[in-house]
Amino acid sequence: MRSPASHAVRMALIMVLLSAALFPIYWMVVTSLTSSANLFADRPQMLPDPSQAFNYAETFAKTSVLLWLRNSAIVAVGTMVLSILLAILPAYALSRFKFRGKGLLGFVLFATQMLPEAMLVVPLYAIFAKLLLLDTLGGLILANAAFTVPVITWILKGAIDGVPIEIEEAARIDGCSRIDIVLGIVLPVVAPTLAAASVIAFFHGWNEYVFAQTLVLSQELRTASVGLASFVGELSTPIHTVMAIGVMYTLPAVAFYLMVQRYVVAGMTAGSVKG
Amino acid sequence: MTGISRRTLLQAASGAAAMNVTRSFAQAKETVTFAAATFAEAGRGDKLKAWIEKFNASQDKVEVQPVAIPFSQLANTVFTQMGGGGGPDLVRFDQTDFFAALPAKRILPIDDIVDASKYTFQAPDKFLNVEGKRYGVVFELANYQLIYNPALLKGGEPPKTFPEFLAAAKEATGKGQFGYAFRATMPERSGFWQDLTNYVYGFGGNWADGKQLTLNSPKVVEAITAYKQVYDAGVIPKGADAATYRRMFWEGKIAMNIDNGGVAGIFAAQNPNLKFAAAPSPFPNRQQGLILTALSVNANTKNKKACGVFINWMLQQAAQSELQGILGAASVATPVERPKADLERSPWLGVYDAQTPYALPQLVLGFETKTLEIQQIVVEQVLKILVGNADVQKTLDEAQSLSLKRIERQ
Repeated sequence: MRSPASHAVRMALIMVLLSAALFPIYWMVVTSLTSSANLFADRPQMLPDPSQAFNYAETFAKTSVLLWLRNSAIVAVGTMVLSILLAILPAYALSRFKFRGKGLLGFVLFATQMLPEAMLVVPLYAIFAKLLLLDTLGGLILANAAFTVPVITWILKGAIDGVPIEIEEAARIDGCSRIDIVLGIVLPVVAPTLAAASVIAFFHGWNEYVFAQTLVLSQELRTASVGLASFVGELSTPIHTVMAIGVMYTLPAVAFYLMVQRYVVAGMTAGSVKG
Repeated sequence: MTGISRRTLLQAASGAAAMNVTRSFAQAKETVTFAAATFAEAGRGDKLKAWIEKFNASQDKVEVQPVAIPFSQLANTVFTQMGGGGGPDLVRFDQTDFFAALPAKRILPIDDIVDASKYTFQAPDKFLNVEGKRYGVVFELANYQLIYNPALLKGGEPPKTFPEFLAAAKEATGKGQFGYAFRATMPERSGFWQDLTNYVYGFGGNWADGKQLTLNSPKVVEAITAYKQVYDAGVIPKGADAATYRRMFWEGKIAMNIDNGGVAGIFAAQNPNLKFAAAPSPFPNRQQGLILTALSVNANTKNKKACGVFINWMLQQAAQSELQGILGAASVATPVERPKADLERSPWLGVYDAQTPYALPQLVLGFETKTLEIQQIVVEQVLKILVGNADVQKTLDEAQSLSLKRIERQ
């Protein structure tokens, strides 16, 4: 049985780690609600000052933050949906079929993860220019999906590997086609993993900066990551505005994660108690 | 019954047709994209966008769309786009980026769209004319001076010599205040180079003599030694980036700062109650750096003529005058006299203007197109001196050797 002392130590450790994780977010909120005079005070202001809430009102009024958040949401959801759609069948094929070059295909998928975005952005820009995909959110979704599909394919493959083949065989005897089996039997079984993969794709699309900065020029198509960075000026940076937008930029992503958290945890622990 | 008469229907139809014509006319405007870091600047960005709107309102065929890109990302983003065959039509380039774009043939000569004989340009305009061709026009020229907060200095007077300066900085440091601030980190490589160059010029040195690199010359060694002295004196907010320490200045937390006139303009705009002043930098030599930004045309543009329409509008007296007013203690492409009222209200403007004869671009003279690469080497080596306490002479010898190898390799 665990002693009360060891329980207390564990709890204290958890609290320290939790504080370290949450403090930057708390500090962002406090800074966005700190007066200019107190920003560089001798003793830092540790509590938010509600009287400075006008910073948020001003940010809404003077910037296009809502438009940027909308664009980020479109890109993130688009990346998530496209990545899942494109990854399901290759993941199933890699898991269930035996074909020549299967190992090589798996390696090539992995290899795409070894290339940094910055290296691919120039050729991608040239290709997108030819395909008239520059300056479109669709193009941005496609570029992001190119990075998330390989990861998600491997994640789903791992999950599908764990689905007993006997279930599929039973379905085939009952007259199910292969596509029916994938969509109607395999996917519901790996739903928690699918949720975890969706989170990865969503956050990639939500946070992505290099492609969003380079492939999109129009101000009205900017994503929040680019909009936020645009305040970092050559001579000065409006800290309150940056922090207020930072808070607004973080909240939707946190809300999305909380919504799917249950499934993500289930996905991560799926199979851990098998055997 | 009051049905819709034929006349009403016709009127509505012709109205709609007229609206369609207007819309297609509006759509027919050629859009020129103009990328600059200044559009994102607090205190200047919105004013610059409003200035561009005046151009848009005056035109029925061309429209300029400002594109704000963060200063630290501008070169990377624009060069990537240019490499991919696109990018903004017009770019406001920093001097080092301008000289990086030039040999890569990423910007166009503009002699065919700007008739230089129509305008009287400022002296540094000569740097934008390379091998008889004009590759841009000056967007902003900004001198460097010592900006100080008299309330934080003993006697309210600025130091005149380097020892006086160091003593004053030490005296002003404490209780949440700092005597001075400059850049000394790799993420701010460009600004770090600008600050270093001011010391080098101020101590009578130069990065090159026009023919040979002089990165390890005695004057440069003296300047970097002085930089290190300030770094070690505990008078700067170490780690604070320029945007942060400039804000600290206008919040009354920093006593002195050697910075360009654009920054002084921002201090005045952000805190009109701050009684700051300017004086010549406290170095043995009066020479200081010069911020030279150029407006250039992307080689990939399909709207060169339209770019020319904007550039020619910008060079008109009224537009230049307004631009100079927005930029603060900076100059523009052509000489514009400052209104007397402005000089009386902000005496620091005159101090900055008086520095013009002593201003030099922060380029490696004679090796302008290599400035970016030499900058990288020098900044890396100086960091070894600042952070790693490496020997100044030996480290600058290494910088000289590495730079020569880089040049020879090309």
